[in-house]
Amino acid sequence: MKNWQRIKQDQNLKEKFFVREKVFDGIRSFFKNDGFHEVETPLMVKHPGTEPYLEVFETELINDEQKRKQAFLLTSPEYAMKKLIAGGIGNIFQICKSFRNGEGLSEKHNPEFTILEWYRVNADYKNIMSDFENLLWYLHTTIHQTEDKFLTYQGKKYDISAPFIRMTVAEAFKKYIGIKKQDLLSVEALKEVALKKGYQVDKNTDWESVYNQLFLNEIESKLAELNRPVIIYDYPASQAALSKRKKNDPDFAERFEVYLAGIELGNAFSELTDAVEQKKRFEEELDLRKTLGKTEYGLDEDYISALKQGIPETGGIAVGVDRLIMLMADVADINDIIFFPAHEVFSS
Amino acid sequence: MSKLKAGNIKKGTYVLYNNKPHLVTKAQFVSPGKGSAFTRTKLQDINSGSTLDFVFKSHDSVEEVDVESKEMQFLYNMGDEVVFMDPRSYEQINVPVRLMDGKEKFLVAEISVYIQFYQEKAIGVSLPPKIKMLVTEAEDAVAGDRQNAGKKPVTMETGLIVQAPLFVKKGETLLVDTATGEYVSRAN
Repeated sequence: MKNWQRIKQDQNLKEKFFVREKVFDGIRSFFKNDGFHEVETPLMVKHPGTEPYLEVFETELINDEQKRKQAFLLTSPEYAMKKLIAGGIGNIFQICKSFRNGEGLSEKHNPEFTILEWYRVNADYKNIMSDFENLLWYLHTTIHQTEDKFLTYQGKKYDISAPFIRMTVAEAFKKYIGIKKQDLLSVEALKEVALKKGYQVDKNTDWESVYNQLFLNEIESKLAELNRPVIIYDYPASQAALSKRKKNDPDFAERFEVYLAGIELGNAFSELTDAVEQKKRFEEELDLRKTLGKTEYGLDEDYISALKQGIPETGGIAVGVDRLIMLMADVADINDIIFFPAHEVFSS
Repeated sequence: MSKLKAGNIKKGTYVLYNNKPHLVTKAQFVSPGKGSAFTRTKLQDINSGSTLDFVFKSHDSVEEVDVESKEMQFLYNMGDEVVFMDPRSYEQINVPVRLMDGKEKFLVAEISVYIQFYQEKAIGVSLPPKIKMLVTEAEDAVAGDRQNAGKKPVTMETGLIVQAPLFVKKGETLLVDTATGEYVSRAN
């Protein structure tokens, strides 16, 4: 049965779907109260993100002489928004659609999803952590009309008052797997631990896959059991292509992710402002895309030139709005808060 | 036994995990964007019934368990066990009700199902996607109930309650979807 048919059958379902507009309203008033401007940037772009493992939706722009240009649906509005930051526009936010292909459909993924990004100038990722804490609190208290610090989600209570639990990636690997920080970046050390735990590793297993598999199995599942939101921060630099390295610890970068009830809600950085370093990382990523057989495209030189001309120190984040809606509506499946999820649209 | 790439694991596959046979009750391809592809699974231990979550690298190699599937006929439900019969040999087997996974209310008289066996032990039951069931209780439609826009609960011969259109009456036969428990059509 399709969602519109379900709504017809049970009018109470409307209320779950209308949480979406409440979340939109809440986000807008939260940022506008703080002096942010809302912007709108293109969904159809020439240069989508260079993230090596993301697959894109490709299309064509056809002009009146039937000339065709490769075009893509964006994977995130990040580049355009940071160009505006370089232009001196100040603090901004945007709510828009983003598109990721080949991720598979699940109760937490729809290939077309709603993303919230905000950028705060003269700030870093620590400021964004506070912004996120304040935003979640604001949405909870306004939408649920309460001052109760507990948010109930799927029968469990979460204390969402600030500050959230904050843990570095290295601390999480130490706490949940017993891996010391000096071993975290060693592929051999990680493989040894993984092998002992019964994972499949061989000589071809690379650092990235064993690191992520350990994180997904041994850490992410434990974070889901905590009764507070968790901020995991300071990622290995290779896992943070758009973020600034830590000054006193350059193997790690100023990136964080925030989780609640096992759901990843957002991914944030102290934005990389070094044009030379950024270009190098883009080129490495585009090379890796080629190796992985992903759709190929060029890098956004306009973005590099924006960085070259100077961009203020900025903190920024991408948040999955559909997942915020799931939390606020107390719904376990993303397909139950999207009127027309992809599996319905594309079912026969 | 045959090897399988973790990326090809589907719900309903039987695999060896930690040397024990498990049923895959959920399998999702995840490509987290930040890293390579993984397959997130929920695995149920065939013997103990306990479940666990595990994330495979999509190119991990997994051993598929050989499972035999046999057509059997439903005889009766004893509460904690359900009794089926092989229509060829007339041999009867008792299946723990937990293997029905909450679907025991679809067991109408003499229905044929497929039962999966591992080393001669029943480990799962598959129902046909749609089955015919008799309506044993249905109230007359209450006009003006707009909350439920054209549906009412009716009770089927097994005690199952189905949301059916207002025109459905006691004594009719309906086609019911066994995956969702939803009304499909009248079957008279």
